[in-house]
Amino acid sequence: MTGRAISLWLGLVTLALMLAALCMVFVYVPTEADQGIVQRIFYFHVPCAWVAFAAFALVAIAGIFYLWLGQQVWDDLGYAAAESGMVFCTLVLVTGSIWAKPIWGAWWTWDSRLTTTLILWLLYGGYLMLRAMAGDSEQGARFGAVVGIVAAADVPIVIVSVRLWRTIHPAVLVTRQGGHGLEDPRMVETLLVSLAAFTALFIWILCLRFVTLRMHTRLVALVRSLALAEAAAHDS
Amino acid sequence: MMASFAAVLRKDLLLEVRGGQSTVALGALSLLVLVVLVFAFNPGGGEQGIEAAAGALWVALVFSGMLGATRAVSGEGENGCIRALLMSPIDRAALYAAKLAAAFIFMAVAEVGSIILMVLFFNLEFDARLMRLAPAVLLGALGFAALATLLAGISSRLRGGDLVLPLLAVPMFVPALIAGVKASAAALAGTPIGEFAMWLKVLVAFDVMFIAAGYLLFEYVVGED
Repeated sequence: MTGRAISLWLGLVTLALMLAALCMVFVYVPTEADQGIVQRIFYFHVPCAWVAFAAFALVAIAGIFYLWLGQQVWDDLGYAAAESGMVFCTLVLVTGSIWAKPIWGAWWTWDSRLTTTLILWLLYGGYLMLRAMAGDSEQGARFGAVVGIVAAADVPIVIVSVRLWRTIHPAVLVTRQGGHGLEDPRMVETLLVSLAAFTALFIWILCLRFVTLRMHTRLVALVRSLALAEAAAHDS
Repeated sequence: MMASFAAVLRKDLLLEVRGGQSTVALGALSLLVLVVLVFAFNPGGGEQGIEAAAGALWVALVFSGMLGATRAVSGEGENGCIRALLMSPIDRAALYAAKLAAAFIFMAVAEVGSIILMVLFFNLEFDARLMRLAPAVLLGALGFAALATLLAGISSRLRGGDLVLPLLAVPMFVPALIAGVKASAAALAGTPIGEFAMWLKVLVAFDVMFIAAGYLLFEYVVGED
């Protein structure tokens, strides 16, 4: 199967899953008793968070393989994962805020989970800035791999410190998410379908971006070899 | 390995003693940060004043650390010194350790000044509690130096890279920043040792992680180009 056929199929699967998830979220699943209609955003929020975390783990893994094997393909994968992960991480923060305003009465609190996600977002924002500045160079790929690995290694310490910070401080709000006690089996089913839909969406976007980056790499290599050949012809 | 580490570190310190301005610049920056934060917070006495003082001290540490690491690493860019260093038969890890040590020493000197200024500006007392600050601040300076030396290796080799250093270093430093501010506030307030020790553990974990990461990855940062 060619790359184009794969991405077409992935797109179709994503479309089907996403339509199913939308139907379930808005029609099938019962409204949560305490929080009302706003709780339905939970079925978008949690899959986005899962995808963002998976994407950033992928950045670090691709970084390790890039430094180890030195093949450009690993860097293209890592870069594509960071860009797609950033989209989902932004969505996590946005959907979380929309949920928090009516439930907690504030757009933002410095709860440990929120703080950790924000720091992740900042870390990978820095990664993307770095990549944008470094341009398409082998050096940029190396720097990206190093930062991707260090950022991922930093995450466990961030989680621990932020949690300690917030448990020592008295919590202003009770931060137990209502959606966690999914008492109705239909809620679990909806969450699972939604998780599958967002995972498929992520893989699709990742593939599209990855293929584009691969083409870009080949183009850059072609341009370089052309310039070299021209220079050689000019000299002789 | 030890010999090359000592040689590079000696060179950096000698350069500083013979009229490099790193420590002076770091101290001046710390002074400015503290003054600005006094204006911003207008701290009163008591517990609130202690929290503000601890926070201000760590903001000064972050800013001076950024400058210190940049100077220790990017100073080598002048006259292509970095190329000569890389051509010499020095282990990359030894080079990292020496640069880290230099940045740490500059920061530690600036921190001593910051602590004295903090006591003056925030109306605290010169007493035994300041001694308990020392381990927290030194561990924080070590962690920041480890992190910033690695990242300064990256930022010094990019056009416009001085913008990248704070963007990457500050979010990565957040765990140590939280732990450091909390440990310093606990030390200054004279609370029982338990909470202070817990935050010190976080700082130690941070330092160990970043020194290991820098040690392993610095070679890829300075690279062969």
